[in-house]
Amino acid sequence: MIEALVGILGAATPLIYVTLAGVLAQRSGIPHLGLEGLMIAGACAAVVASKQSSSVAFGLAVAIGVCVLGSLLLWFVIEKLRANPIIAGLGLTGLGLGGSDLAIQSIYGSEGAVRAPFALPHLGAWAGEFAGLSVLVLALPFVVGLLWLALRRTRFGLRLAASGEHPFAARSVGADPAQMRLIALALGGVLCALGGAELALGSLDVFSIGMTAGRGFMAFAAVTFGAANPLGASAAATFFALAEYLGIKAQLVLGSAAPPELLLSLPYLATIGGVWLSTRLRGGINRGSTISELREY
Amino acid sequence: MTAVACDDVSVAYGEVLALRNVSVAFERGRIHAVVGQNGAGKTTFARVCAGIVRPTTGRLAIDGREIRVGDVGAARLSGVELVHQSFALPPSFTVAEAMEFGSTRRTGPVYSRRALERRWRDHLASLDVAARPGDRIRDLPVETQQGVEIARALCSDARVLILDEPTAVLAPPAIERLFARIRRLRAAGVTVLVILHKIHEVLAVAETITVLRAGELVATLLPAAAMNAGDLAHAIVGSANVGATIDVPAPHAARDDKLPALELLGAATRATPDGPPLADVDLTVGHGEIVGIAGVEGNGQRTLVNAIAGLCALSAGRLNCGGRDLTRTSLLERRGHGLRIIPFERNVEGLSLSSALWQNWSARLLVAGRQLRLVDPQRLRGLCRSALERWSVRFASVDQPAGALSGGNAQKTIFAREIDDDAMLIVAAQPTRGLDIAATAFVWAALRAARERGCGVLVISSDLDELFDISDRVVVMLSGRIVGEFCAPYDLGAIGAAMTGASSAALTLATP
Repeated sequence: MIEALVGILGAATPLIYVTLAGVLAQRSGIPHLGLEGLMIAGACAAVVASKQSSSVAFGLAVAIGVCVLGSLLLWFVIEKLRANPIIAGLGLTGLGLGGSDLAIQSIYGSEGAVRAPFALPHLGAWAGEFAGLSVLVLALPFVVGLLWLALRRTRFGLRLAASGEHPFAARSVGADPAQMRLIALALGGVLCALGGAELALGSLDVFSIGMTAGRGFMAFAAVTFGAANPLGASAAATFFALAEYLGIKAQLVLGSAAPPELLLSLPYLATIGGVWLSTRLRGGINRGSTISELREY
Repeated sequence: MTAVACDDVSVAYGEVLALRNVSVAFERGRIHAVVGQNGAGKTTFARVCAGIVRPTTGRLAIDGREIRVGDVGAARLSGVELVHQSFALPPSFTVAEAMEFGSTRRTGPVYSRRALERRWRDHLASLDVAARPGDRIRDLPVETQQGVEIARALCSDARVLILDEPTAVLAPPAIERLFARIRRLRAAGVTVLVILHKIHEVLAVAETITVLRAGELVATLLPAAAMNAGDLAHAIVGSANVGATIDVPAPHAARDDKLPALELLGAATRATPDGPPLADVDLTVGHGEIVGIAGVEGNGQRTLVNAIAGLCALSAGRLNCGGRDLTRTSLLERRGHGLRIIPFERNVEGLSLSSALWQNWSARLLVAGRQLRLVDPQRLRGLCRSALERWSVRFASVDQPAGALSGGNAQKTIFAREIDDDAMLIVAAQPTRGLDIAATAFVWAALRAARERGCGVLVISSDLDELFDISDRVVVMLSGRIVGEFCAPYDLGAIGAAMTGASSAALTLATP
């Protein structure tokens, strides 16, 4: 039982960090499809930088820097060049996936995977059964709680939501929607870096090309599933992680009795099911989507 | 002492000058009206005063102190608040959240839901707004939303309140209550700038009147007590437009069928996102008759138009046109029987703004024939050009995108497309919304011409003056039902009561 909890926490943590980045962006009015790219850029930068400098802290700092830069690029393209946020986000995802591949190939040759000298610090012996989890898992509840407070119980959160839902309303009380989106995306960059670093350096200490395997898109689905509420979206991400854990577990238990492709696709099937369910629960696709309202003023 | 002073303010949107060298100083503690036609620059003026629009040139002073132009924060800090024409409140917010998100009051960084609702309950009560702090904006009726928006504007210590066309969305009794509220605010020391375009409303509430015409001040701070309606109308319209004759081509379809052009019998629909379901709607429009649909917006008018168009299925009842049962037919078949629609949103439903004029205009011809058929763009261009000229649309080329037209010309383009020789029933939804006086007169003349030729005309409008002017009969809708039918001379009080459901007596038919 505890072992299952550890497994689910390990799988859910990177996903939840990235989901929170998606929640911030969504509330500010940007459907964030660049999460996948930022997550893999964060994972790649964390491993490469900590391998080159022999310092995990430095690796984490570089990952944050890279992801924040990527987010600023996305903001610039959407707000200043007036690009469609979906296309811009997908472009950022392409940039992250291709860029991390290119970086690994050019630094380490055609290995496909890079081992870091060490992982993120773990909780250690005092945590008992949970000793193998990283400190980012421990930090997660605080991050989720803080973000929930900031988004749902402060004036800042209201202005951020207004920027997404009714930009003109935000503007007419003196909150600049473009500026609110900048804050949301930059903070999201930090969270994506943490998610990526946790994925590569949390329970493992390795980066392999394409290792995010669609988790950024699952995070985006969790944002939709959780109605852009930090708590709901985190719960949705946990649900997807549970599916992922069950898939791996079933593979071990069933062995070759079940087709491994089917078991590996469980989290993706869960994602599709989750999005379908959330759409059904809210009575169809939301008519006034943030995409159309983004251009309203 | 002046509350708001503009000095030589000009605003240019691209090539167009929305405001030209406007200088005016509003005295503190009074009710000032700013009036003018659509496109006269009233809203732009209001937004400049509130810091939302940055003027190209000019200066702005609040309470004698100059502030940075185009800075909402600075304007709000000096106590200027604007209530927008279409309210600026995020629909998913609760009333308390809508108060808080614009508040500048000093509080702790984090609130609890209970504390937030307590914080704003007294404020709402003191302004007599009939909303609970926990209600969602999207669930509130329009009048209450406006009350909330005013309460939001007053949640910081506002000394100047600007209301942009506040009466546009309200029924007559609500307008009276709004004016009473404005007078109470004035008594409490708030300077009120109210943007209006209806003359009788201006004379009812304002102490001074400032008139804008085509972006320029033509009269400044006239004392309202000394004005009469005729003088004011003259000031607003100017001499150029008075007495202009308009030549409107009419359809030839003088089929004087004995059977009415439109007959809805016990029509009902399901609820739609646009409003309540239709319930038990009986409506007849005869040939050569203009029937007006009055009602506060959102009471099923959109559903009614969709039901007539065949875009919303009837769950009960029948629809006959000229005696033929068209209940189960598509819009295309109904068009074949002479149904023509002037839709609510001319820029969304009426025209494809990015498509060329000739494509927009010939859409009617293209859907009418067989699907697999060669199209001759050159011929359509020619037809379109002569049709638009006949309807005196001002356009540069039939290849220009429809989005480049002004509101009046866009509406004329739709009329040129819809009102053709075969039209039998014309449904015109808010046909003059956003149009200036000249374009409005043109639209009315076109509808009257269609009536003279024997078409049945159904006009849906939230402007009662318009309905009284052109309708032979006015039918009132409330919550998807027909709650009253009136003939000229119209009794504004009775119609207003029917629109708001204030009197069940409205259900009885009023006869002339």
